Amino acid sequence: MAGNGTDYTVYAEHLAKVYGQGRTRVEALRGIDLAVRPGDLFAIMGPSGSGKTTLLTILGLVTEPTEGRLLIDGEDIYGGRMPDLARLRREKTGFIFQSPNLIAFLTAEENVVLPMSLAGVPDRAGRMRAAELLDYLGIAERAELYPNQLSGGEQQRVAIARALANNPKIILADEPTAALDTDRALSVMHLLRQVSIEQETAVLVVTHDQRLIGEVDRVIELIDGRIVSAESHSAGSAVPTS
Amino acid sequence: MNLAVRDIVYYRLKFFSSTIGVALLIMVVVAIGGIVRGIISDSSTIIENTGAALWVVQAGGAHPQEGTLGPFVEVSRIPQSVYHAIEAMPGVAEASPLAMAWEHVRRMPRPTFLMKFMYINTLVNTATMVKPGWLAMPQVQRFIVIGYQPGKIGGPPVIIDGRGIMASHYEIVADVSAGFRVGERLRLGNFDYTVVGLTRNMVGFTADPVIYATLLDAQNIVFQPDPNLLRNVQPLIVQDFRDAATAQAASPRLLAPLAAKAAQSAENTLFINAIAVKLLPGVLAKAIAERIQRWQHLTAYTAPQQVNIQLMGSNRLLLFQMSVFRDILVLIAGVVIGLIIYTFTLDKLHVIAMLKLLGAPGRVVYQMILQEALFMGIVGVVLGSALELLIEPYFPRRVIATFGDIVQMLVVMVVIAILASALAVHRAMRVDPRSVLGTQ
Repeated sequence: MAGNGTDYTVYAEHLAKVYGQGRTRVEALRGIDLAVRPGDLFAIMGPSGSGKTTLLTILGLVTEPTEGRLLIDGEDIYGGRMPDLARLRREKTGFIFQSPNLIAFLTAEENVVLPMSLAGVPDRAGRMRAAELLDYLGIAERAELYPNQLSGGEQQRVAIARALANNPKIILADEPTAALDTDRALSVMHLLRQVSIEQETAVLVVTHDQRLIGEVDRVIELIDGRIVSAESHSAGSAVPTS
Repeated sequence: MNLAVRDIVYYRLKFFSSTIGVALLIMVVVAIGGIVRGIISDSSTIIENTGAALWVVQAGGAHPQEGTLGPFVEVSRIPQSVYHAIEAMPGVAEASPLAMAWEHVRRMPRPTFLMKFMYINTLVNTATMVKPGWLAMPQVQRFIVIGYQPGKIGGPPVIIDGRGIMASHYEIVADVSAGFRVGERLRLGNFDYTVVGLTRNMVGFTADPVIYATLLDAQNIVFQPDPNLLRNVQPLIVQDFRDAATAQAASPRLLAPLAAKAAQSAENTLFINAIAVKLLPGVLAKAIAERIQRWQHLTAYTAPQQVNIQLMGSNRLLLFQMSVFRDILVLIAGVVIGLIIYTFTLDKLHVIAMLKLLGAPGRVVYQMILQEALFMGIVGVVLGSALELLIEPYFPRRVIATFGDIVQMLVVMVVIAILASALAVHRAMRVDPRSVLGTQ
């Protein structure tokens, strides 16, 4: 582990999560150590119930860990007073899901503007940024359409644009390619790779999809809430701390 | 970006169909408010438009200490000459003798299509409630005759067609709701009268239209007995007088003229039912009323008391009933809006979870729910009120929904919308953002 963790986009030390008490007690995560630098693209893999989604929600500031220390973009999330998790999520994280989860009553452009609007970005600036992102992802001409007028692949691109809207430090993707064929799945991964490099955003992808192993910098394998391997697939800068 | 507006625009069909349902409910609420205001207006319009501060009526009656409740809800009969004494009192600007009574003519106005519809609708609605003949269409039209001295208070406040009464006899001004036309002739009592003008909004508390005549004509209509009956009664009066006079050894020379005078008294019509009293500026109505009661042996009511007698004496239960019914409807409107908003919120739980995951503060979520509830309530009131104003003229009795009533309804609906959205907000606040990820 290098330094005090402030150099990393994500820095986790001894993260643990326990659900329930007594006979219903479940240890979802046990002593997770992780360090992710800007531009890293990691895959988190493992069987069902291994704790992948729990780790994702802890890193996404949706679930509070039972133990451990978590720094996002150098900020010790639970180290001080009660954190404003909603604000931190707005400013530091972006989410991509298996299903695009676009808001049906907003156009593609408005779906991208929404996180910026929530963060207090003026409407005009938000729309300009959304236009840039949609153009960057190759769907600028679909900006005025509603989600139900877009194909599955286009919806997923809009979801990626939405995740990038507030220039997050970390993008958390939950099975983003599960519903896509190989070509589209690889296309999405290439996009995420492009984003991680060009935007210097750390990307963590929770997946079962073995097709993606060659597309990421490192594969972190979880079993029973523990990291059992952190295999590097490229010359990425990722440094799992365990 | 206003999420409520975007949601409403996208799901406009669903949203507006629900809003129309709310609007129809509000239309009924506003209409009932209008009916209540109509009853209040009917019970006060004559008093208000006469402009009298006091109404002097007969003392005694069933409650000697309290006087009669005349002239609108109880018989009041006082000699006409009394009004001079009232007019001479300090502080009195004007005393106007009025004769009034419910009368009828054997003529119904030509029924309009709407009235025919209402009649048939009533027959259908009451089919199991009435016995044969109870709902037969009456062949007479009822109204209130008010006789006044032209130039004094108590006459028609406005002429909307034709002219006011100018001749001493046989001219009348009718409220437009009576259905008469200018120039039409009708028989009242023993004479024919010509409708020379029309006024409006002058009805009794029963909604019967008012017909204005000169005091003399009204006295003839109200007090003059049937001539045939009089012919039969006069010999009996003369005989009674002769018997009494003979018994007291009156001079036979005086007997005949005195008997004739006694017979005439049987057809005396120089009575009135009330005196409308206008006071000088700054004079207290209650003080004058007390003086009239003490020295003139009459009963005097202030204008608000006289309205109260009609409103709370005669229309009290109707008012209570309509007000309770209105409350129930407002409550139903609130429950309906609450359920609609709650259902809409349930449909949006995934969106709400997504918003939370994106870092939306709680206020963004409850603002969206509240704005939709307010939009539904406000559009419902505007649309419902507009519909009510459109159908208002077609009600058989007066329905008066004012701008103030609509604003009051708007305020009530805003409060209801806030309360109704509370349950939905409570549910929305319990949504876990992790539900988007399929875990909680």
